[in-house]
Amino acid sequence: MSSLEGHSFTVGGVRRGIVAAQPLALGVFIYGIAFGLVAKEAQLSIAEALTMSGLVYSSSAQLVIVNSMSNGTIPASGALLAVTATLLLLNGRYILYGAALRPWLGGLPAYQAYSTLAVLGDGNWILSMKAYEKGERDAGFVFATGFGMFIPWIGGTWIGSTAGSLITSPASLGLDFMLVAFSAAMGVGMLKGRGDLKVIAVASVASIAVHQFSPGGSAILAAGLAGGIVTWLSYGREASS
Amino acid sequence: MSMRIDVLWLIMIFSLASLFCRISGFWLMRWVRFTPRLEASLKATPLAVMVGIVAPTAVSGRPVELLALVVIVAVMRFKENDLLAAMAGMAIIAVGRWLQLAA
Repeated sequence: MSSLEGHSFTVGGVRRGIVAAQPLALGVFIYGIAFGLVAKEAQLSIAEALTMSGLVYSSSAQLVIVNSMSNGTIPASGALLAVTATLLLLNGRYILYGAALRPWLGGLPAYQAYSTLAVLGDGNWILSMKAYEKGERDAGFVFATGFGMFIPWIGGTWIGSTAGSLITSPASLGLDFMLVAFSAAMGVGMLKGRGDLKVIAVASVASIAVHQFSPGGSAILAAGLAGGIVTWLSYGREASS
Repeated sequence: MSMRIDVLWLIMIFSLASLFCRISGFWLMRWVRFTPRLEASLKATPLAVMVGIVAPTAVSGRPVELLALVVIVAVMRFKENDLLAAMAGMAIIAVGRWLQLAA
């Protein structure tokens, strides 16, 4: 199947996506609870916490926002600008994720493509790109892995902001390692040959360097860009792998 | 259930910024002609992103995390199963953290 054929969005794809999303959805759920707790401590109402989780849908960005709201009051305009800039830096990787999804979602009706992108996240994108490589072409898979993590995020936020401290911290359960564990496993599964070595090398250097002064999303973006750029630059210099 | 108007405005601003990040890359690529070279570059990004997620942990110098990563790679080598490998790593982390707390 060529990469430009087979655009579809079917119930079968949605079903496969829902199944694939489950292990990571558990981690998202616990993180949702943790965010709900933080929001409650910052004196956000349940409605405010839920609206934020539903519309912003980004754990790292939401924590930055809530931390900027001392005693539940919104930051002054100067600080607001800084928080918005931080948010763009943290979520800039989604721009790259969306670009990489163009060949898959580009042939779909706009409402399907954009509703799929609205629930885009790390775990869902990684699962989808892996599946694409294995031949999956049903966009329902991308949507369902995204939506399948969005729902536990909302549910977790609701529980955290209502029920209070059920769980000490996601870190004590090792759940902060969830995305790292899946990325490591899938990354190893994706290795194809020596051509991957330069991608791994530049991505590591970029990520570690950026992580020194800006942890989280921006280090991931730096790694993704570095991998793409080195492939662009070295394209055609070696026998196609 | 209360919702303050100024907080709602704040959420709206941030949700627009978030949505912008989610849709702009896809939208912009509409104007770009796909060449094999560009496709190869985009195809390299998933592995690079995974490395970007793992690398800071790999060099953090925390022994439990390092052991978990080694176990994940080993499991993938012997039995190529993402879920099994990731869960094995998670188990190492859970036990390791528990021991650290107990100590």
